[in-house]
Amino acid sequence: MGALVMELSGKDSVEAYKVLLVSALGSRTAIANTLLAATPLIFSGLGAAIAFRAGVFNVGVEGSIYMGAFASAWVGFTFLGLPALPLILLSVLAAIIAGGLWCYFPGVLKARLNVDEIVTTIMLNYVAILFTSYLVNYPFRLPGLANAMSAEVAPQAWLARLVPPSQFNASFIVAVICALFMAFLFNRMRLGFELRTVGDNPIFARWSGMPVARVIEKVMFISGLLGGLAGAAQVLGVNYRFIANFSPGYGFTGITIALLARNSPIGTLIGALLFGILRSGSSTMEIFTDVPRDLITVLEATVIFFAALEFSLTWMRRKRHATT
Amino acid sequence: MAYLEMKGITKTFPGVVANDDVSFAVERSSIHALVGENGAGKTTLMRVLYGMYKPEAGEIFLDGRQADISSPHDSIELGIGMVHQEFQLVPSLTVAENIVLGYEPHKGIWLDKETTQTQVLEISERFGLHVDPDMPIREIPVGVQQRVEILKVLYRQAELLILDEPTAVLTPQEVEGFFQVLKRLCSHGHTIILITHKLKEVMSVCHYATVLRRGVNVGSVEVAKSSEAEIARMMVGREVEHKYQKEEISSAVPKLVCEGVSALDDRRLPALRSISFTVNAGEILGIAGVEGNGQSELVEVLAGQRQAEGKITLEGENLSDHGTRFIRETGVALIPESRKTQGLNLQGKVSENLVSNTYFKPPFSRYGVLSIDKISKYGRKLIKRFDIRTESPNAVAATLSGGNAQKIIIARELADRPEVLVAAHPTRGLDISATQFVHEEMLGLRAQKVAVLLISADLDELLALADRILVLFEGRLVGEVDPKTVTYERLGLLMAGHVNDA
Repeated sequence: MGALVMELSGKDSVEAYKVLLVSALGSRTAIANTLLAATPLIFSGLGAAIAFRAGVFNVGVEGSIYMGAFASAWVGFTFLGLPALPLILLSVLAAIIAGGLWCYFPGVLKARLNVDEIVTTIMLNYVAILFTSYLVNYPFRLPGLANAMSAEVAPQAWLARLVPPSQFNASFIVAVICALFMAFLFNRMRLGFELRTVGDNPIFARWSGMPVARVIEKVMFISGLLGGLAGAAQVLGVNYRFIANFSPGYGFTGITIALLARNSPIGTLIGALLFGILRSGSSTMEIFTDVPRDLITVLEATVIFFAALEFSLTWMRRKRHATT
Repeated sequence: MAYLEMKGITKTFPGVVANDDVSFAVERSSIHALVGENGAGKTTLMRVLYGMYKPEAGEIFLDGRQADISSPHDSIELGIGMVHQEFQLVPSLTVAENIVLGYEPHKGIWLDKETTQTQVLEISERFGLHVDPDMPIREIPVGVQQRVEILKVLYRQAELLILDEPTAVLTPQEVEGFFQVLKRLCSHGHTIILITHKLKEVMSVCHYATVLRRGVNVGSVEVAKSSEAEIARMMVGREVEHKYQKEEISSAVPKLVCEGVSALDDRRLPALRSISFTVNAGEILGIAGVEGNGQSELVEVLAGQRQAEGKITLEGENLSDHGTRFIRETGVALIPESRKTQGLNLQGKVSENLVSNTYFKPPFSRYGVLSIDKISKYGRKLIKRFDIRTESPNAVAATLSGGNAQKIIIARELADRPEVLVAAHPTRGLDISATQFVHEEMLGLRAQKVAVLLISADLDELLALADRILVLFEGRLVGEVDPKTVTYERLGLLMAGHVNDA
């Protein structure tokens, strides 16, 4: 599909794809950069997947990423005297709580008062982005800096770079562990059974005696928690500080990936890696061929389009099946 | 020569042959019953005739001419009309608008209201199907909605009417009136195919009956020359035992007690008005009533799914103001009325459906982790014990037939002997064998001194099983009758709210 677009606009598609793949996977550093690009997407994809699987359309992971990132940075630049491990753990814990609560509240509204979660989470995204931007522009402003960013996190909390010079770091491993744990939670844990049942048929879940409201609240907390982890990973592993507007929509890409993966945690992991290849390869592709990076956006959009089409086709088929 | 002839119809769905080389003939101006158990292929055959399904093989002849029917549009053109089990009416439109929908008389691009009105009144007059053309559908009772469905078909000039289980939603009195309408239609030259599995209806109103069993036509009979027993035998393939043996109740030990229970329905109108009753141990208490008189709300209140005033106790333990899990843990088993939404997660596995009320405690889960092993072992055990026809406990529940799906619910609810069973329409849509299975399970509980509350729209079921029957009308209990002595007429009158006449 992308090839078609390229050929139509007179570019050499084979060459472009070759460059894309080589620059994403051609060397140790290239692979490391791809995995680095995939890391926040794994977290945010899992965050979206767990909410969607429970039938809650949480669009608020992006907000949790910001809240988590700021909380993590705040711990990092405030408790400068702490040794490495406690500081990292405290910083991550802060991100988990901030990110988790950020989605937990719309979860409570949804579960107890049936307030539409899409509206509340979209709005809270803006609140989070603008609120964290305010924090680094005013209360935590660094004098003498033109950019809106916080102070640097204490160096002992910086996550180890695994393949220098790439910024690829230990947070990737945490992301993979999270994906494996989520797969376990979905299939083998009580909460997983509850959330799948609530997602499939909330009425049945209630008649079975499942605590539906509490399940939704827990799921929303975990969803936000994963967003918070994505934020902490960017702060402690890449930027070493909080930068206003730092996320290029990790939360939203996560939604796409979760939909593509049909909310399977392992599928989300694979999907995030694919998007990592596209993301990290595209900038090089732009330099070495005259194919613009926007084409990757076209490609991503096309993938989403077909995924949505497939989704609605199966839905229609199922509906027709149900009426016969 | 027969008016309608279907020859060698074969229609398969993935994994099932719904119609296997079925031939079927109907005489003009007759009422022809198409009978058979659930899944026998009655509805499929009629949907082929109506153009909703395309058969793999077979031909259809109308008046001796081959009819090429590939969509309902074609069949309507040919004078065939079908009234489906689920009504296909627009709730917000009026009776008249629904009747003419799709074939509206119009002035330019506008609906010609006057012509619509007169045409609708004219046909409703001609066939004695009285309706108020200006009422919105959502404000009229189901019995009247059915009349609207029939009028819609007649408005489209149908000569041949297919009615799919039309009496399921009617009271005994309404059924009587409905049969008069069928006879009148017949005398006007219309031909009627009546899909049903109620043999009484076949005997009282039909001229001919054709029996399908597992997709095969097992024979046609002239009703006047046949008997209920013969047709039943053809349907099931064996003799049918109708009577159940029951031990007498020794003493009345109250189990489930409801006192002054009132509740609102979804539109916030009173659905239950201060209901009080007691279900004793080892007793089946039947609740009769026309649907929509508070039965659904009563079940929901007992299940902890609907807010209510009043007091509900089980052996003295207060159940009101508690959630479903507490109620279930206290010993109440629930067979809800909607199998597909309340009773099962169709997308879940059979084994998961079997533990949906017990999954949270040992041995199925410890420290928040499920024991998949124990769950599927338990699933296999129940599948065997309740004879659920499925490939494995891991099969998706949606793949099971209606009867086997209901068996999942029965197995889950009855596996651990409950104190009380609340069963709402437990055999609805099930065939004779599955129904018998469910009835025997309930009688088994009764013998084990379980208190059973049976809410059912099927009077035969209530009369066969219940020790006492309470009648629910407009949210009130209007009478108690003894199933051993009560007549259909008296029950019917009570169900219609005629308390004093009864």
